[in-house]
Amino acid sequence: MRKFLFFIPFVLFIALAAFLFSGLFSDPRQHGSALVSKTLPAFELPDLMAPTTLYNAEKLKGKVYLLNVWGLWCPTCNAELGFLTELRKQGIDIVGLYYVQPQDSAFGESFDLTKLQQDVVKKLQEQGDPYRLNILDEKRSLIFDLGVTGAPETFLIDAKGQIRAHHVGDINPQNWPALGAQYQALLEEAAEHKPTAEAATTAGAAYAN
Amino acid sequence: MMPEIGQLSLIFAFALSVLLALVPVYGSYSGNVRALLLAKPLAIGQFLFSAIAMACLMYAFYHSDFTVINVASNSSSMLPWYFQLTASFGSHEGSMLLWVTILTFWTALVAVFSKSLPLLMQGRILAVLGFICVGFIAFSLFMSNPFERSLPFFPVEGRDLNPLLQDFGMIVHPPLLYVGYVGFAVSFAFAIAALWGGKFDSTWARWARPWTLAAWLFLTLGIMLGSWWAYNELGWGGWWFWDPVENASFMPWLVGTALLHSLAVTEKRGTFKSWTVLLAIAAFSLSLMGAFLVRSGVLVSVHSFASDPSRGLYLLAFLLLVVGGSLFLYALRMNAVRSQARYQLFSREVLLWGNNVFLLTATLVVFLGTLYPLFHKELGLGSISIGEPFFNQLFYYLVIPFSLLLGLGPWVRWKQQQLPPLLKPLTLVALLALTIAIGYLAATQSLAANLALLGCLLGAWVGMSAIGEVYQRAQQLGGFSSGISRLQASHWGMTFAHIGFAVLVIGVAMTKTLSVEKDVRMKIGDTVELNGYHFTLTDVYALNGPNYGGQAAELEVYSEGEKVTHLHAEKRFYPLQKTVMTEAAVHARLSRDLYVALGEELSGPSWAMRVYVKPFVRWIWLGGVLMAFGALLALLDKRYRSSTVKVREKTAEIAGVEHA
Repeated sequence: MRKFLFFIPFVLFIALAAFLFSGLFSDPRQHGSALVSKTLPAFELPDLMAPTTLYNAEKLKGKVYLLNVWGLWCPTCNAELGFLTELRKQGIDIVGLYYVQPQDSAFGESFDLTKLQQDVVKKLQEQGDPYRLNILDEKRSLIFDLGVTGAPETFLIDAKGQIRAHHVGDINPQNWPALGAQYQALLEEAAEHKPTAEAATTAGAAYAN
Repeated sequence: MMPEIGQLSLIFAFALSVLLALVPVYGSYSGNVRALLLAKPLAIGQFLFSAIAMACLMYAFYHSDFTVINVASNSSSMLPWYFQLTASFGSHEGSMLLWVTILTFWTALVAVFSKSLPLLMQGRILAVLGFICVGFIAFSLFMSNPFERSLPFFPVEGRDLNPLLQDFGMIVHPPLLYVGYVGFAVSFAFAIAALWGGKFDSTWARWARPWTLAAWLFLTLGIMLGSWWAYNELGWGGWWFWDPVENASFMPWLVGTALLHSLAVTEKRGTFKSWTVLLAIAAFSLSLMGAFLVRSGVLVSVHSFASDPSRGLYLLAFLLLVVGGSLFLYALRMNAVRSQARYQLFSREVLLWGNNVFLLTATLVVFLGTLYPLFHKELGLGSISIGEPFFNQLFYYLVIPFSLLLGLGPWVRWKQQQLPPLLKPLTLVALLALTIAIGYLAATQSLAANLALLGCLLGAWVGMSAIGEVYQRAQQLGGFSSGISRLQASHWGMTFAHIGFAVLVIGVAMTKTLSVEKDVRMKIGDTVELNGYHFTLTDVYALNGPNYGGQAAELEVYSEGEKVTHLHAEKRFYPLQKTVMTEAAVHARLSRDLYVALGEELSGPSWAMRVYVKPFVRWIWLGGVLMAFGALLALLDKRYRSSTVKVREKTAEIAGVEHA
């Protein structure tokens, strides 16, 4: 018995080494988001360019798309715009979620929508516009619910409005293949279920009427 | 040509380390005295060649030889010369070479200063160190070569040194830390050599003690410097962040502290043997694991070097070999060893055992807090992060019983202590501690700060107890005035280290609870008031440094109408690395720091400023320095200096070898 007690440190160390070994091959920056395979949290947010149009989770349902959290203030997001625009040209559907940084009124800062719209248009003209539409999250409510830790972050949403992947950091030619494959798989999945999905939406619409 | 000389020297050092790892082993099994005697020149030669390699790298940095990739990515010709030199260990490759140099330096020191050890023991210790050297020199040489060239196409200007590292604290912090980390390799080698020989009298503990003390001294200073640097350089007024890499240096420190105390028990009383050996293995293993965590990219941290899985794999394999191997050896050999010493429940042994338990619990807390995110993720449970509140909370709970024990420990005798004789002096100590702590807080009238009160109480208890114990011990040695001069240096060392801990606890408690801060927008001429101090912004102007631009702010501080000081805060911009750095303005006094960080320029023109008043924050570092000073005093104790060569023992040992 006493003999085995002295093996405890050795056994514990081997177990630790196994964890360290598997840790070597996974990127610590890659997130396993707690939200994956949950539906998009409820929200009601305006369009960045036409603030009278409101979007919610229900309205965005029915298509596979990427929800890209970004902001003009974030250099990595700006660097990412070019590649995302290329993806849009390949038919990838991208929805922007505009991240407004907190303003500090003590420092005389205030939120100016008109100026932001002008700056965004200018930026997207320069760098390319990857977005089908842009949602404005001025109070960062959806961003908070999504557990966003910084920008850029991208969520892969399936046709049923479920979050299927959470990517932290920029999307670039190196990491796109993995995410792209997931996107394609979801497209095929959506195509298979299309009849039922459509039936469900029409039924929903009928019920709403 | 210098980089090639460096490369060649490193190869020589590698060859010597292979010999060092093999020849004494052969000697110890075959009883070949000449093979054992060869260990010393091999160890010294190994150090000389590593030192030459390091010098060559420094030369390349000093002369901005951008054909060397390492120089081009971590230095620039605009960098001041002293930062050019220190940039040589600012990168992964360079710091690995520094690590190797320090490791071979320790090995050479052991070879030179172990004359009093039996030859067989010397050979074994040096062989273990040689084996560790092989691992690290090979890593430096084959996996992260600092001398690699980018010929024929090389840049005309370097990418500059990370501005975070362009600070005096950074010049000294990594070498000190490495000296500490690597120093535990010596304690480790002693423990393994003892396991190897299977002889566990208290002698190995006596030999290992000064080396452990020295390593602990440097690790303490290294950690304290890192904390002081973060405070000055990061601009958020914090001094400890529980960052994974800070934790990686803190764990060996905690275990090293436990090891120091445990070694005392093993040496003096011949007990706790298996425990001490395990701690010696653990201290160095945690140092190695720290190196792995920083360089493999397993955890995200501000300190991480650019990560590369193949490097991580190498380090992990080495870790498995060294730590796994030594723990396996431990399991095989140690279970046969039994301690005979007997002691009662109320004795110094039990109190020191308690000290070990608390220090190891603290290590476990840090360990779990650091690695739990990794475990969680690898088990497929998703990502989580563990922040400051977790560590702070658990450390509050741990420090309280630990401090109470610490105050008591030095008073209690080995084997058995009767309670009554201690009651009177200890009550006096407790009363004094209470009066001082409560009296002080009542004077400052901050009743809400219960934690600060508790911290002061614990600090005062430990401090008063340490002083009182010296007084009592001196009286026992024949009167206070004559007895005090007869106290051994190691006793003074203990006292100073314990007072250092008390000072540290007070510093942490006061800073954590009584600090105030304000984020303000200031125009030139504006005044902001914080804790009775009036900070007036008098001027802001453009900066023109050798390799940076930016802005500097001048402030005048007044308190009750009298000028306290003039502060100069900078916000630097390093164009080559495109990084902004804060150089906080600090006015330090023992009782408080005034701290101002200059932020963004806002419209107006006005500036965002962050102003802090941090009471007693100096005490944190003062405590660390006192602890290190204590270790230094203990090291100077004359019993470690007696290098009388025990010829008889030595010849007996050699004879033993030849019979084997």
